[in-house]
Amino acid sequence: MRAPRRFIFLLFICLLFISWCSESDVIALPVVQKSILPNQLVILHAEDHSLPFVTLELLVDGGSRSDPPGQEGLSYLTAKGLLLGTSVHSAGRINEDIDYLGASINTSSGKDYSTLTLRVLKKDLEKGLDIFMEVLTKPTFPDEEVRREKEKTIAGIQAEDDQPGEVAEKEFRKALFRTSPYGHPVNGTKESIPKITRDSMDRFYKSYYRPNNCVLAVSGDISAEEVKTGLMPRFSSMLAGEVPPASFTSVFAKGPETIKVNKEITQANIIIGSEGISRGNPDFYAVSVMNYILGGGGFASRLLEEIRNKRGLAYSIDSFFDTGKYPGSFQIVLQTKNASAGEAISLALQQMELIRKEPVSDKELDGARKYLIGSFPMLIDTQAKLTDFLLRVQYYGLGLDFPEKYPSLIQSITKEDVLRVAKKYLHPEDYILVVVADLKESGMNTAAYFRKISDQKDITQHDLGITVYNITPRLQKELNIEDNRGIVVTAVRPDSPADAAGMKVGDVILQIDRKPVGSVKDFESIIGRWEDTRIIELLVKRLGKSSYVVIGSYLNTI
Amino acid sequence: MCQSGFHKEGKIIRKESLRGLIFFLVFLLVLALSKSEAGLRENVYETVLPNGLKVILLENHKAPLVTFQVWYRVGSRNEVWGKTGLSHMLEHMMFKGTKKVGPEEFSRIIQENGGNDNAFTSSDYTAYFENISSDSVDVPIDLESDRMQNLVLREEDFNPEKMVVMEERRLRTDDDPQSFLSEQLDATAFQTSPYHWPVIGWMEDIRRFTLEDLKSYHRMYYNPANAFLVVVGDFKKEVLLQTIKEKFGQVPKGQAPTQARDKDPVQTGERRVFTKKEAQLPFIIMGYHIPNLTSPDSYVLEVIAEILSGGKSSRFYKNLVHNKQLVLDADADNSLLSKDPGLFMLSAEPLPGKETAEVEKALDQEIERLKSEPVGDNELQKAKNGIEASFVYGQDSLFYQAMLLAEHEIALDWRSIDDYIPSIRRVSADDIMRVTKSYLNNDNRTVGILIPLPPKTEKNIPGDGSIKERVIR
Repeated sequence: MRAPRRFIFLLFICLLFISWCSESDVIALPVVQKSILPNQLVILHAEDHSLPFVTLELLVDGGSRSDPPGQEGLSYLTAKGLLLGTSVHSAGRINEDIDYLGASINTSSGKDYSTLTLRVLKKDLEKGLDIFMEVLTKPTFPDEEVRREKEKTIAGIQAEDDQPGEVAEKEFRKALFRTSPYGHPVNGTKESIPKITRDSMDRFYKSYYRPNNCVLAVSGDISAEEVKTGLMPRFSSMLAGEVPPASFTSVFAKGPETIKVNKEITQANIIIGSEGISRGNPDFYAVSVMNYILGGGGFASRLLEEIRNKRGLAYSIDSFFDTGKYPGSFQIVLQTKNASAGEAISLALQQMELIRKEPVSDKELDGARKYLIGSFPMLIDTQAKLTDFLLRVQYYGLGLDFPEKYPSLIQSITKEDVLRVAKKYLHPEDYILVVVADLKESGMNTAAYFRKISDQKDITQHDLGITVYNITPRLQKELNIEDNRGIVVTAVRPDSPADAAGMKVGDVILQIDRKPVGSVKDFESIIGRWEDTRIIELLVKRLGKSSYVVIGSYLNTI
Repeated sequence: MCQSGFHKEGKIIRKESLRGLIFFLVFLLVLALSKSEAGLRENVYETVLPNGLKVILLENHKAPLVTFQVWYRVGSRNEVWGKTGLSHMLEHMMFKGTKKVGPEEFSRIIQENGGNDNAFTSSDYTAYFENISSDSVDVPIDLESDRMQNLVLREEDFNPEKMVVMEERRLRTDDDPQSFLSEQLDATAFQTSPYHWPVIGWMEDIRRFTLEDLKSYHRMYYNPANAFLVVVGDFKKEVLLQTIKEKFGQVPKGQAPTQARDKDPVQTGERRVFTKKEAQLPFIIMGYHIPNLTSPDSYVLEVIAEILSGGKSSRFYKNLVHNKQLVLDADADNSLLSKDPGLFMLSAEPLPGKETAEVEKALDQEIERLKSEPVGDNELQKAKNGIEASFVYGQDSLFYQAMLLAEHEIALDWRSIDDYIPSIRRVSADDIMRVTKSYLNNDNRTVGILIPLPPKTEKNIPGDGSIKERVIR
């Protein structure tokens, strides 16, 4: 850009005036103005004139948790319904007008809330706002359009069954949340969608789409003056009204529970998870730090290091806390070839155990804090991200000074805090496990399979060809072992002496050479060094029945 | 630090009166808005270091952030049969350390500086990027210049990483029926061109890679003469260039390998490929051979793609999704920035109960209509408006801005970005008819169809009743 000298001088002043230089511990945020209209609509506005377009995002506090039982997907369809036609224009006409402007208008729905977003070039702002206000205030939910949208939704649900990750997620949420409002998919189910009518959509709309139940965020090439004269009068015409009170009971399934889904795929899609926290939980920041170290921090995380880098078992692996207005879930999600499923699960559980047992290192803590604080500006570096962010700040009551508070909220987290929240919120005994895989290839089609949940001392890979574990209460429950005497076989190496003798995963060893075995330590000391010429006699219990197995030169099977 | 976007003046002026200042603020904002029409050629700075490394810089001070990107002119098109996927494998191995930096330390260091990093490989290029705060921009300069030259390739890092890449293939392709079909289609549409094989490579090739393969590939393709930097964001050009020259300047020159690759001869008859996989819904894709941006026809195809599937008033959405209720989704995709000629891709996902043949017929009808009926003025203008607006929206992301510059540079020259909007504006209804007739013909296309297989029903798997366990299907 070749520009006159004076222009450059004054633009320099202009930039100084508008933005402010950031020190490393102060996060620069564009100036945000908050207004509340008489009808209680909250408007948040952040200017950015670097590009000639504007983004408007309206949050409606009526997400899938507000779906009535039996009408799962109602909030989703209602949001979609805004764009299906108004009392003035058909959907086709609205689409035509929007496309001609090169603008976009979209809805999106989540567990807690739905959003309506407009993106339009500055020169077409008035026309864009006309359309936005029209779909927001005058939807008619026409029968034919609603019918089509429902069919599309059902087809979309069906298509999701082709994504093993989606299948796993749905099973997980169903199992964890049971009947709680967070348990069903946002876009409903094949059973619930047909039951939704345009009348129920209209009722939902009239109940929740009230200015006192909404927040509007505006960013981009629009000034405070334009918001005041151009935007506010439009939104002031919306009428406040009574909104159904939120009723939400958090009912979480207590593990352990395992769900297995068979699919002819090459990878096992695995979720290990449990109850999580809400956004408002004061432990949120300590949990953020802890989760970063465990599995949220990408290549800086322990899960990725152990399961991907060291062993090459997965391409994608991470952990997260899905926080909402109400407590959500904690999940470890990974995919690994079928045959490695058991091993990957063991390793993940090991890491959960480890972070609960020992404080994290200074290096890890420091790295987590530095990332969480340093990467903050990237959360708001486009108009779309900024409006999202502003809505979340308002919705979760974080305060508009949140960017200033955030660094110290994270910096104050100590190793003790991390240990405390790890102990409190990670459950290596009571988790829900979902495996979507070729169950035969993954070795999970047998009733007994196991996970390594204790540290290295408790397991033994012996020359006999078996891996054994101490029986913990969890394993006892999982493998339906009546009493916890003995040790359990968790792997049998093919073509080993134990394999030849017919030993199987799940066998419980009670005696070796007539000596009682109570723990892996006993096993080790009795067996000592195994030699090929030895013959040993094991008392083994399998599926309730005890019998003797002889391993050695004379081959016997149960 | 606050910086003006202009590198001409740096002197502090004398104080102006506040009123005058406010007047000028408003004046400037108006000016700034009208100036946004100006091309990138005036804002982007390019230089080539003595060792052949091209450096492309674009200052943008709307936020204290920078995207720093290193682009290597090597992708799957540079590979040979038997060693497909090597570019992508090398991309993975670039994170395994140098003499200075330990394995996987790279990302940790970037993250500790509050940044994000990643890399991606395509058929035409391998790119590495860091998005980081402006005051830490020296960190990626240091790390990237180091691994361009001093990458250490170790067997113990290589073996697990090969397994990781195999898992990636399983995730992205083998277990994704639509993606699998796409791979099949490319392999059928392209026979002599290296676009025949997938970027990630065939599974057996991945299994067979040796450390020696990687070492020689790195030597051949990872040198300054075969790479360029793109940096967009909040920096001062002079200062940045100093550091870049210091760090990257010392990397020895190397040679840019020849880039010419075989192209397919003209396709003279339709090809079809089927794949049967366990899936819920069928899928159909059709690829037509087309030129890239070196031909003005490529811009016409951009407009055609927009008319067909840009927005909910587009022809595919209106006719196939809404009116005929044939498909869940339908798309048209151009291939403007492909280094070698690519494919114009139509794709559609039939609704449950709809036949693929019916969907194919509907897609064909749309293409025929473009050949026989000139597009009306309103519809043509609408498409151009959509494309232009997207171009503006895209500039909101520093990362995306840099990527667009780089992709143009790979395909032709970054300056060709400035031809984009003018070329779009020039497209006429006659152009559309002509181009559709030239390229969107059955003889020139490859059709791929996914035939869904129902999930196998399994006998009840015995389970212990007392374990809370459910086995489904």
